[in-house]
Amino acid sequence: MRYKWYVPYLFIFLALIGLFVFRLGPIVLALIMGFTDWSPFGSPEWVGIENYIDLFTSPTFWTIFKNTIIFSAVFVPTIVVFSLLLAVLLNKGLKGTTIFRVMFFAPVITSTVAIGIVWQWIFSTDIGFINFTLRTLGIDDPPSWLSDGRYSLFVVAFVYAWKRVGYYMIIYLAGLQDIPRNLIEAARVDGATKFTEFKYITLPLITPTMFFVLIMSTIDSFKSFEIVYTMTKGGPGVASTTLSYYVYQNAFELFQMGTASSIAMVLLAIVATITYINFKYKSKWVQYRY
Amino acid sequence: MEKNTFFSKILFYLLLILIAIVMIFPFYWMFITSLQPLQAVYKYPPEFFPKKPTLDNYKEIFTKFNFMRYTLNSLFVATLAALGQLFTCSITGFAFARMHFKGKELLFGLILATIMVPVEVVIIPEFLLMKWFGWINTYLPLIVPSFLIGTTGIFLMRSFYENIPMELEEAAVIDGATPFQVYWRIFVPLSRTPLSALFIISFLINWNDLLRPLIYINSVEKFTLPLALINFQGEYSAQWNYLLAGAVVSVIPILVVYLLMQKQFIEGITSTGLKG
Repeated sequence: MRYKWYVPYLFIFLALIGLFVFRLGPIVLALIMGFTDWSPFGSPEWVGIENYIDLFTSPTFWTIFKNTIIFSAVFVPTIVVFSLLLAVLLNKGLKGTTIFRVMFFAPVITSTVAIGIVWQWIFSTDIGFINFTLRTLGIDDPPSWLSDGRYSLFVVAFVYAWKRVGYYMIIYLAGLQDIPRNLIEAARVDGATKFTEFKYITLPLITPTMFFVLIMSTIDSFKSFEIVYTMTKGGPGVASTTLSYYVYQNAFELFQMGTASSIAMVLLAIVATITYINFKYKSKWVQYRY
Repeated sequence: MEKNTFFSKILFYLLLILIAIVMIFPFYWMFITSLQPLQAVYKYPPEFFPKKPTLDNYKEIFTKFNFMRYTLNSLFVATLAALGQLFTCSITGFAFARMHFKGKELLFGLILATIMVPVEVVIIPEFLLMKWFGWINTYLPLIVPSFLIGTTGIFLMRSFYENIPMELEEAAVIDGATPFQVYWRIFVPLSRTPLSALFIISFLINWNDLLRPLIYINSVEKFTLPLALINFQGEYSAQWNYLLAGAVVSVIPILVVYLLMQKQFIEGITSTGLKG
């Protein structure tokens, strides 16, 4: 193909605007806004690191920080283990696998709002299905799952894991199908049991996929805004408020754009650090060679 | 595939069925609740198979609560946004796959790097920008970004176009085709499969999105389905029958298309790595 030097830039023109106006520009702007007192009704005022000092000395912020870590600590291991379990089961070559796969993946394509509402209904205190079951089992005074600060965060994290597990299951399935058949057959010829086969062949060879699932689900766990907003609005109090929801609350309910930007920067720093740590240490346990 | 003994088969099926119940029950519970009048919904113990299913809740939400309007709004926004993705991702992917220009690697790297950035970081400046444009309470903030940003879509299209043989392109060039004609007349028609996957995914994301409609749309008549549901949940929190009928309305179109084209859905979502 022959073309003038500027033609390719015309082809990527839209994406370039997007990159600079909607991605790089906003990242820089958010960084700057974090150092200001910025309400959309007044003019922004430079306050230096005051927003960060306020944040790091606020017990509320640390509660929310802890909530975010707990949310990830529930979500990520659940995803890493259960999506592998589902994938292994679907990889057994049983009849009807497709139907099960379609069912397990259905929550992935369903809107978080609809899912949040349904689970809110299932977990509701007086007439919810869960508490009906618990009462039937003889527990007379089952908890108010979503309005009790001891449970709400865990319930929300569980529901989000329920929604996302099918996605990671498909990723594991692709990984499992990449394992060379001859390795498994060789192990069987040598008399490997199902368990040793899984431990010494499947598991080591699935580590690159597991690593990918680990990174992606960790980042996923910080995107909890929609599920938190739908199910608890961060409540009761701040019991289920995560950083992602806290940014929204400060920016669009309290209109503290400066504070909200500084929280967003904390979130960005966490995501960047985890991605970095994951990449740095993956060579220690990821097996790339067959 | 491997051979399973009879007992391990039974065990696997039991496990699969158990998991399937956990994954499907909420959908079932949503459907049957939406088919019952309010007093039946509040009946204790709950009915697993409603004795007198009725479509009254649906009639109500479509007539009294304007859900037809919200459905059409969602359809409009999601379709335009998905079309925007098709155009932008394919033309950008084409340039990155088949053209040479200064800064190509750097720009592509930058586009890919922004994928890790959480939406919370960019949404506040984006909001101020949209406000500055005077676009608050219009659909422009929900549609225009889809014409400008598409990291994973660009990546998907670039990978696809890189594998198209040179001969096709050369034949067209000999016939005097311009780069745009090569893109439009040869590459686009060849890429129906990735484009339809991309359409499904971006339609889905925009149909399901809550954050952007929530911060940009104020007038009730402009609400999309997720926003209408949230609003309804706030106003009529005890009316589970209507609320769940509304949830079903927002889920059904996606679910039907998903059941018809589950393969494309699953492959599309996993190949683009997009969040469903």
